[in-house]
Amino acid sequence: MDLSLNEKRLLHLLEGVKSADPETLAAGMGVSPESVTQFAYLLADRGLCTVERETRSTFHLTEEGERYAREGLPERQLLASFEKSIPLQELTRHPLARIGIGQMKRKGWVVIRGGIVEKTGRDSPGDDERALQDPSQGGPGLEELRRRNLVAEHQETRYRISITPEGIEWVRRGLDMSEETGTLTREQIVSGSWRDLKLRKYSLKAPPRRVYPGKIHPYQRLIGEMREILLCMGFSEIYGGLVQSAFWNFDALFQPQDHPAREMQDTFYLKETMPLPGGYERVRDMHLFGGETSSTGWGGRWSRERAEQCVLRTHTTSLSIQHLANHPDPPVKAFCINRVYRREAVDPTHLPEFEQLEGIVMDKDVTFRHLLGFLKEFYNRMGFSGVRFRPGYFPYTEPSVEPEVYVPALGWVEMGGAGIFRQEVTAPFGIRHPVLAWGLGVSRIAMLRLGLSDLRLLYKSDIGWVRETPSWLGGGDSRVEGQRCR
Amino acid sequence: MPVIRLHYRYLERMTGVDRETLLVHLPMIGSDIERIEEDHVDVEFFPCRPDLFSAEGVARAMKGFLGRETGLPLYSVTPSGVEFSVDPALAGIRPFLGSAVIRNVNLDEESILSLMGLQEALHWAVGRGRSKVAIGIHDLDAVTPPFSYIAAEKSRAFVPLDFDREMTLDGILQEHPKGKAYAHIVRDFPRYPLIIDARERVLSFPPIINGELTRVTERTKNLLLDTTGTDERAVATAVDIICTALADTGATIQSVTIGEREIPTLSPSERIVSSDEASALLGIPLDPAMLSALLLKMRYGAEPAGPSNVRVLVPCYRADIMHDWDVFEDAAIAYGYGNFRGELPPTFTIGSPHPVMAIYAVTREILCGLGFQEVLPFTLTNERVLATRMQRPLKDSVLRVLHPISEEQTMVRTDLLPLLLEMCQLNKHRELPQRLFAVGDVVEGTETLPRAACVSTHPSADFSEAYAVADALCRELAVTIMVTESDDPAFIPGRRGTLACAGRDIGVFGEIHPAVLNAWELEHPVAAVEIDLTAVPGYPGQPGTP
Repeated sequence: MDLSLNEKRLLHLLEGVKSADPETLAAGMGVSPESVTQFAYLLADRGLCTVERETRSTFHLTEEGERYAREGLPERQLLASFEKSIPLQELTRHPLARIGIGQMKRKGWVVIRGGIVEKTGRDSPGDDERALQDPSQGGPGLEELRRRNLVAEHQETRYRISITPEGIEWVRRGLDMSEETGTLTREQIVSGSWRDLKLRKYSLKAPPRRVYPGKIHPYQRLIGEMREILLCMGFSEIYGGLVQSAFWNFDALFQPQDHPAREMQDTFYLKETMPLPGGYERVRDMHLFGGETSSTGWGGRWSRERAEQCVLRTHTTSLSIQHLANHPDPPVKAFCINRVYRREAVDPTHLPEFEQLEGIVMDKDVTFRHLLGFLKEFYNRMGFSGVRFRPGYFPYTEPSVEPEVYVPALGWVEMGGAGIFRQEVTAPFGIRHPVLAWGLGVSRIAMLRLGLSDLRLLYKSDIGWVRETPSWLGGGDSRVEGQRCR
Repeated sequence: MPVIRLHYRYLERMTGVDRETLLVHLPMIGSDIERIEEDHVDVEFFPCRPDLFSAEGVARAMKGFLGRETGLPLYSVTPSGVEFSVDPALAGIRPFLGSAVIRNVNLDEESILSLMGLQEALHWAVGRGRSKVAIGIHDLDAVTPPFSYIAAEKSRAFVPLDFDREMTLDGILQEHPKGKAYAHIVRDFPRYPLIIDARERVLSFPPIINGELTRVTERTKNLLLDTTGTDERAVATAVDIICTALADTGATIQSVTIGEREIPTLSPSERIVSSDEASALLGIPLDPAMLSALLLKMRYGAEPAGPSNVRVLVPCYRADIMHDWDVFEDAAIAYGYGNFRGELPPTFTIGSPHPVMAIYAVTREILCGLGFQEVLPFTLTNERVLATRMQRPLKDSVLRVLHPISEEQTMVRTDLLPLLLEMCQLNKHRELPQRLFAVGDVVEGTETLPRAACVSTHPSADFSEAYAVADALCRELAVTIMVTESDDPAFIPGRRGTLACAGRDIGVFGEIHPAVLNAWELEHPVAAVEIDLTAVPGYPGQPGTP
């Protein structure tokens, strides 16, 4: 039985200490701990040592957990917010009521009788609250906290290498410490001296070192997939500024100046202004009285100053309409997948910025039926075979439609909006043919395809997640690359 | 969007259709079902259809859609003899008034709640939070006509709803919950709108609160409706929607004299639409008879008027019908969205990527090849990230949002590098080496510019690594660079370089300053590069044009 020099050196070292972890042994040998583990597995194959692999879990608090560790669990905070009893209706106004009331009831801290929440007095701190203060101690409360997503588990693998009596016997018999070849040199290969060398053997039992390739973010990869589909379908890509005048973001799309979506609480306004384009009067007239179309317009007032004010674009439709204004002659097929802004607080399903996909088709004789045909084709190519349509409402399209796709685990899921641009939108720019338009929140598809429940992960990326998510997302269903560009 | 509660029993009685059929068809007239319960369903209707914000309105539409009662619903209005005057001093304050008398109402607790629900939904959708239109409903028998809508002194007092003492108008704005909520609409005017009766008693302080005097109860038999606002059309729409809903419950609608006019008339408006145009828009063959039949289902009056025209009578409550295409959409809904056969348009075009997106794509490819992993940081950030922690001054050109939603997101990024360091901090516990990159837009002034940046952190990350990556990236992007010493305080002096192309600085690279690492709580050296992708050959000349 042959041992490599490194195996012999390890065995020699082990004979002195009997048992140690790879890090200690690595220091003694001047090699990496991973190599020590490799050598140890080789020795273990021959029964000269044992390698114990132990996976240990440690627990630490999540961001939410840390907050509760400081401030108390929601039910504890809620309990402290009133004296002996309180009307349920009043208690529900407490910001933590949604989580807290159910938990207080479940834990028997309170009973609810006739709409009144009464303390029972049995509310001493539970196991979960003890575990919250020190999750590393484990204990019965920990499982509860994990269920509530307040602690997260971190797994760590440790090795312990111990010499066996056979190993000791081997060392006592004396080890031949003559050289073995690890890495072949150019000289050895070229000269042929490799024929006389003893080449060290590696074990397949030791796990390989994990390396992480440079890679495109999984979400970007999905966006790339959608981009390819649209390019294949003959669409040209458009791109433009994140900052737009309210004119292009709203007025040009016939959104009345007093429309709720234009209000400060939904849109990021900027103090900057942008000049209105030539011919803006046609848009103004459309708002005031319907211009030269059969429309009545919105009536009321139209303020130039409001139109000049800048916003962070709330949809990429602001780019589509500018593209159409610059290319009023048919045919136009264009798309854009890019970032848009809404004034929303950050939570697992809402973000103030996210990606939107938008496509437009303008041509002679295109109809509502073509719009539905397009939507079906696009969603089919995205991997959704069931597509259906419902009436919808969007201020700048008429007719409007809400497409829904069938997701086996969820049923019918609303997937964006579509319609034909109103004449009030197209007429001021001299666009004489119908414009089919549709848009969707790309992140919604990303969550479905990547199995995420928290949108934030897409942007505040845990690179561990990025590293572990395979680059190929197409496996396991009918979306085969070659079928896409028929 | 307003959520309307529909009780099956009431809706079944109004429509003569069972609940299962109703539930299947509700989404197909344009609504989202929020929740299905034992005895009711909560439905969200689109803001363009305020006429569906009541069970009566829904029943009216469903009867047409299901073919049980089609065509224009007819409403008769008789004069009430009640007069209402409008004070010219209201011209700059809240000039428009709508009104109606509704007799023989049959109110119980539930129908009062339903009426209040309709009122609230209209305040939201038509009234824009009461600023454009506010609605008041009163017990007519508690007051004496004629009525006056006046601009009153702020010191005038009355007993507002839910209070038992008199309060001045200003006092109401300060103390009454509704006053506090809606004070912003009237606060800046010299006088406030007020509705009074012949004996100077106050009915309402629109758009804030009614008087306790005219409170509507289960014993109320006759109603006076007022709508006030800044938009004449919206004020009239609110009256039409409430009157038609109450008329459908069996009440009698009577008009009121305001100046020269008798309102409401509840009469339809007429439009002549082309069936050829409808056919071309929807892609289905439609002659005037077919189009008329579809529109009758949507409760229009409709009859063929010539070889390709249809005379359409639009019900008074359909304020959303602005254009012929609005009518055609209703024809499509009546036809059934599920019955359209989708078809790809024959339009032939050749797709092409946008040059900026193409540059982004190749930059991603290069950086991946160099071993970097992509991240997609937010574009909204703050001064601490962009400047303080980077030891950099905040750029004058930084774009700030006017009403940030949190302290974290007050401005748009001017650089990518700070966001990458933030990403390193977030991932401190992850295995080294970490090589991260981002490509994406930054904003300077109001201009959107494409950038790329990368960082590498591990125990032996240094200037040479940054220089090698910067050099490789520029070579691969065909950007010819000159390198000079940089003075960027985010980097270590003597370990930093400026990338210049055609006499213009286009990037920076080097080893991040330890003080910056400390600020980000990073424990290992970081080599970093950031470049402006406008320098890449083929970048379109006019940034920002689609």
